[in-house]
Amino acid sequence: MTDTALQAPARPVAFRLRFGTGWQRPLGHGLMILLSLLSVFPIYWMILTSLRPENEILSTRIWPDAATLDNYAYALSAIPMLRMLVNTFVVSAVVTAIQILTGILAGYGFSRWRFRGASLLMGAVALTWLVPLQVVMIPNYLLVARLGMIDTLGALILPHTASAFAILLLVQAMRSFPSEVYEAARMDGANHAHILWHIVVPNLRGTIASLAILVFISTWNEYFWPLLLTRSAQNSVVQIGLQMFITAEGTQWGPLMAASTLASLPILAIYLVLQRQVIASFMKSGLR
Amino acid sequence: MSLASVAPRHGPNRWSRLNRLVRPYLYILPAIATFVIWIYEPLARAFVLSFQQWNLMPTAPRRWVGLENYENILALPRFWQALENTGLYLLGLLPMAVLLPLAIAIFTQDLSGRTRNLYRALIFVPMIVPPVVAAAVWRWMLDPHNGIVNGAIGALGGDPVRFLSDPHLALWTITFITGWKLMGFSTLVLSAANASIDGSLIEAARLDGASTWEIVRDIRLPLLSPAILLLVLMVILLGAQWSFSYIHVLTEGGPLGSTTNIYYLLWQFGFGSLSVGWSSASAVILFVGFSLIAALLFWLKAKLSFHDD
Repeated sequence: MTDTALQAPARPVAFRLRFGTGWQRPLGHGLMILLSLLSVFPIYWMILTSLRPENEILSTRIWPDAATLDNYAYALSAIPMLRMLVNTFVVSAVVTAIQILTGILAGYGFSRWRFRGASLLMGAVALTWLVPLQVVMIPNYLLVARLGMIDTLGALILPHTASAFAILLLVQAMRSFPSEVYEAARMDGANHAHILWHIVVPNLRGTIASLAILVFISTWNEYFWPLLLTRSAQNSVVQIGLQMFITAEGTQWGPLMAASTLASLPILAIYLVLQRQVIASFMKSGLR
Repeated sequence: MSLASVAPRHGPNRWSRLNRLVRPYLYILPAIATFVIWIYEPLARAFVLSFQQWNLMPTAPRRWVGLENYENILALPRFWQALENTGLYLLGLLPMAVLLPLAIAIFTQDLSGRTRNLYRALIFVPMIVPPVVAAAVWRWMLDPHNGIVNGAIGALGGDPVRFLSDPHLALWTITFITGWKLMGFSTLVLSAANASIDGSLIEAARLDGASTWEIVRDIRLPLLSPAILLLVLMVILLGAQWSFSYIHVLTEGGPLGSTTNIYYLLWQFGFGSLSVGWSSASAVILFVGFSLIAALLFWLKAKLSFHDD
């Protein structure tokens, strides 16, 4: 037993090789291939359908034959698709910027000072996720109506001007920031605003970037608020637009798939370029 | 710490003391204001509305009805059906979002580097796809007449399956789509936790003659339990909420209310039949119920992670 413990640090490599052979290895690959196929086939099928000419829409061949952009042309002309994409982008970008700003300020406030009620307020921040949007939807709707902001992009931004996740993540990051740096800067006569923007924020670039990715993607994908607060296609976001191709008379599959592809394109592009960071920031978030 | 202690001092000093006192609050004000305005005040307002009868029209009168809304809802079969459906959603999600990923994470721990990164990249895709897009694509693939899934079933000699319009199937179809979005993510979370287990522990157990299953049961599962509990917590607290988009886009709660969960019922009460009181009363019941479940799960989590040490 003692021998094993002593030898252990040198052995993991050998152990791994042994564990990975035999019947478990092909089974592991098989499982992963199945799961990978299940994960990406629907996306592949969406893009494939969107490129098919009208007379081949119902084809179930899993390889492309003739490709056309007709469905895209139709989707862009049938509803104000471009406008909706721009709206979605504007809302997502603004929400991302504001959430990071309020997160940085609150993160600094919570991590830099001890003050009366700090833990109570911190608890209030952390418990916000316990309140589902559906529980507060009517009062929020009434508030937006009182502000005269039903059917505006502003109404989509306002309820999202802070997020518990951004604050908790930044508090954590700032707490692990070495306090000597603060003290040195204070000695040099720097005020708090200077310390925050010129010392803390530049050092947290990585955290802030992964936060930005997460907030942008979540806001882009948001469906419930827009459903509640927008009325006209012009002032709506792309997630609402998709539904317009699903009608009681039947669904226009080609244009619906083209619009769906357009609605996921920015997200898939971000993922293609920043794949590792995207996965890391979602895993850190523990969802939402 | 009180202001009185600096009273004898002169003006500027007192000002800076006051400044120092309020400064932390100023920094957190924007965030706290957002939460008060959009979450906590509305929560209190929902509570008040749950004792009133109102149809959302600004000109219509609001009438105090006491506990009548609660009594009416609790007597409503629809409410109990939605509650039961919420439980079924969660029951169906747990195997897809926790059990299956757990099995996969344990089986695939030692796949070689290059292929592992490819798998990681692929299985994570559903997580970032917009929910409405996921709903649209699955609606297309599961279409009873032209969808590829029924095409395959037909080719194998089966009858077309009405995945979304069969009252016995629709709920499980939506559960599947919700689970499809989460499966890869959960697998990655559990794989990461599994990979961080110290290899020498398993080596030692193996040399002591432990079988693979014994190693999984006695070493891996206990060490994975915090990650497992976190996922269970997330699925239970947020799972039924995630299915909202799929329900709204795919079935609107039907057929025969078979896919309506409690979140969707709130929506139907509030913006379908414009009965603010009923919607708010169910919101209060939902909030209190889930707070209790959350408290229980957090207590359990604290207890279990204590055992790890």
